[in-house]
Amino acid sequence: MSIAAPGQLNVTEMATWGSRTVDKFEKLEQIGEGTYGQVYMAREIATGEIVALKKIRMDNEREGFPITAIREIKILKKLHHDNVIKLKEIVTSPGPEKDDQGRPDGNKYRGGIYMVFEYMDHDLTGLADRPGMRFSVPQIKCYMRQLLTGLHYCHVNQVLHRDIKGSNLLIDNEGNLKLADFGLARSFSNDHNANLTNRVITLWYRPPELLLGATKYGPAVDMWSVGCIFAELLHGKPIFPGKDEPEQLNKIFELCGSPDEVNWPGVSKIPWYNNFKPARPIKRRLREAFRHFNGHALELLDKMLTLDPSQRISAKDALDGEYFWTDPLPCDPKTLPKYESSHEFQTKKKRQQQRQHEENAKRQKLQHPQPHSRLPPIQQSGQGHGPMRSGPNQQPVHGSQPPVPAGAGHHYGKPRGPAGGPGRYPQTGAAGGGYNHPNRGGGQGGGAGGYGSGPYPPQGRGPPPYGSSSQVPGGAPRGSGGSGFAVGAPNYPQGGGGGSYGGSGTGRGSNVNRNQQYWQ
Amino acid sequence: MSSNFWTSSHFRQLMDPEDVDVVQQLDKDRGITLEDFKLIKMQMANYIAKLAQSVKVRQRVVATAITYMRRVYIRKSMSEYDPRLVAPTCLYLASKAEESTVQARALVFYIKKLYSNDDKFKFEIKDILEMEMKILEALNYYLVVFHPYRSLSQFLQDAGVHDVNMIQLSWGLVNDTYKMDLILMHPPHLIALACIYIASVYREKDVTAWFEELRADMNVVKNISMEILDFYEEQHRLAGEDRTGAAFSKLSSKP
Repeated sequence: MSIAAPGQLNVTEMATWGSRTVDKFEKLEQIGEGTYGQVYMAREIATGEIVALKKIRMDNEREGFPITAIREIKILKKLHHDNVIKLKEIVTSPGPEKDDQGRPDGNKYRGGIYMVFEYMDHDLTGLADRPGMRFSVPQIKCYMRQLLTGLHYCHVNQVLHRDIKGSNLLIDNEGNLKLADFGLARSFSNDHNANLTNRVITLWYRPPELLLGATKYGPAVDMWSVGCIFAELLHGKPIFPGKDEPEQLNKIFELCGSPDEVNWPGVSKIPWYNNFKPARPIKRRLREAFRHFNGHALELLDKMLTLDPSQRISAKDALDGEYFWTDPLPCDPKTLPKYESSHEFQTKKKRQQQRQHEENAKRQKLQHPQPHSRLPPIQQSGQGHGPMRSGPNQQPVHGSQPPVPAGAGHHYGKPRGPAGGPGRYPQTGAAGGGYNHPNRGGGQGGGAGGYGSGPYPPQGRGPPPYGSSSQVPGGAPRGSGGSGFAVGAPNYPQGGGGGSYGGSGTGRGSNVNRNQQYWQ
Repeated sequence: MSSNFWTSSHFRQLMDPEDVDVVQQLDKDRGITLEDFKLIKMQMANYIAKLAQSVKVRQRVVATAITYMRRVYIRKSMSEYDPRLVAPTCLYLASKAEESTVQARALVFYIKKLYSNDDKFKFEIKDILEMEMKILEALNYYLVVFHPYRSLSQFLQDAGVHDVNMIQLSWGLVNDTYKMDLILMHPPHLIALACIYIASVYREKDVTAWFEELRADMNVVKNISMEILDFYEEQHRLAGEDRTGAAFSKLSSKP
């Protein structure tokens, strides 16, 4: 707080310089947890405004203020765009009044530092996972356009995001999409000459050049992730759910073909190319596998999922793609449905009904197993875009898991305790809704379900490499759980997924190795 | 950092000289004059440069560190924020912000080595880490700084200057501007132009035509040049006097 000059009263709440303390906010609930620190939903006491507080953990830091936090702050302070999350301010926490010996502790930083962000209601993954959620084509175009616009802005400002995935794309109830979690981001120079770490980007969204060990790279790495998300929106589930790096590359090769000096000049010089080169060349079958997609969509996806990063489409060119300029056009974000879950009571009720419905559906399904059955896409202009991930064949195995009390939380990160595990919804063996993915993060959970008929191996939502198959529901380190309907703050819009302000270090799929961050 | 300077916090924070040349009340109470204030800052800039040589970081890190240090003293007193600790801590923070991380341990080691006979320079790692937080707060977490170096090389190339002596002279001049507060007051590219201007006069190279085409505000460029020349003159005049020691002893005196 600012100190009033002698003879004057300090009447302004906002200090011009120096940070305020966190007690200007009232923590409402923890909504995320990551290696980085916790994320809380909080209310600014003076204004009533709802914000997200991301704690920067300072303990165990032998080198002072973490360089990862410095990068994130530096980058967020210079990015000002409608499609990039806004860092409102940084506040400190007074910490314990007394130290161990009971002496007054003058170090006001001991308690930690919080980044204050605007609060967003959902994240893309959480939203897509809502029971019964189906995105329309204009809606998918609208989200994709915002994603590309935000990313283009980052790239123009020479920032690589390096962790593009659904749970880092936050969406508010005005339909605005914003890039969040710049904890792995860094600035780059146009010559791509600096050596950067290849241990970035959540595995499922990681491009082949990083998997092959490249340390010189550029904005194309983010565009691969965008392609994965685009395909996921159209396909209904993640397209490359690898459980480790070799499997990840195999999945990519199976769809996009294997790289060689013809389709990717210079690939043989990338460090681990020879280790991962498939025994026999694999033909690219992306267009064939997704032939049911609309033509312009497929064309764009093909350009995003191009193996050679130098030929991969840029955000700018993608925005110019026919896809965004042909009917049905991307809709205005404001016209998107508001997924208000502000009335928690209602959503709970809806969920009850949904569960009932799904149980019935499952019973039918078991009698007539169908190959590859997703919810029917919303037909629009004859396009067959499926909903994001709503496969009824994603059956949990924890059929007998006791109902989880609602309020297990939001979706910023790791659910707390077992109750908030992957099956944060009561999992009474429901199938079909697609919202209870047991394998969301911790443990293979339910691989045995009725998957497996898609073009991909039966991974569904993805067993991460760790976590064995112990099926401990609580252990799911997920970037953003399914839709959360939090208790405790019934008046705030919840719903799709509150998204990751970056507190959620661990996302879907096997995650980035965050302890590698002291690399560049 | 190479995004747009005009949209940056650096640009928004540029200050007028009368706001930079303000001695904090606490320091005034100890008898610190504006001259002392400037002198200590210059001395600390030299100290940062010297330390940087030991830990081997780029000039850019030095420039950022000095800028942090100067920004800190716009808002904080030297009585509360000991310059002898602020300076190395700014280097520590700048090394992270500029992606050339230096370990706190290494800094502490070299401080001890450089000032083995001065008790006032005895700091431990924890002192640096604690001061780092205070500096971050004093800077309001604005860590991006633009420097004249990038525009300098572009300008020199554009002006068709290939004379190595002139190029080196301009670079040296830019380095010396960090002994003053110019970086807090003027856009970096104008500082670069002022240095080219001085160098061109000194090396008798006529770049008038090029300057005219630039359409830069030559009044500002000339003013900056005058400030730089005044600074050199002042240094020359006062050479040999140990004024820094006197200023520091004021600082440690009781008000």
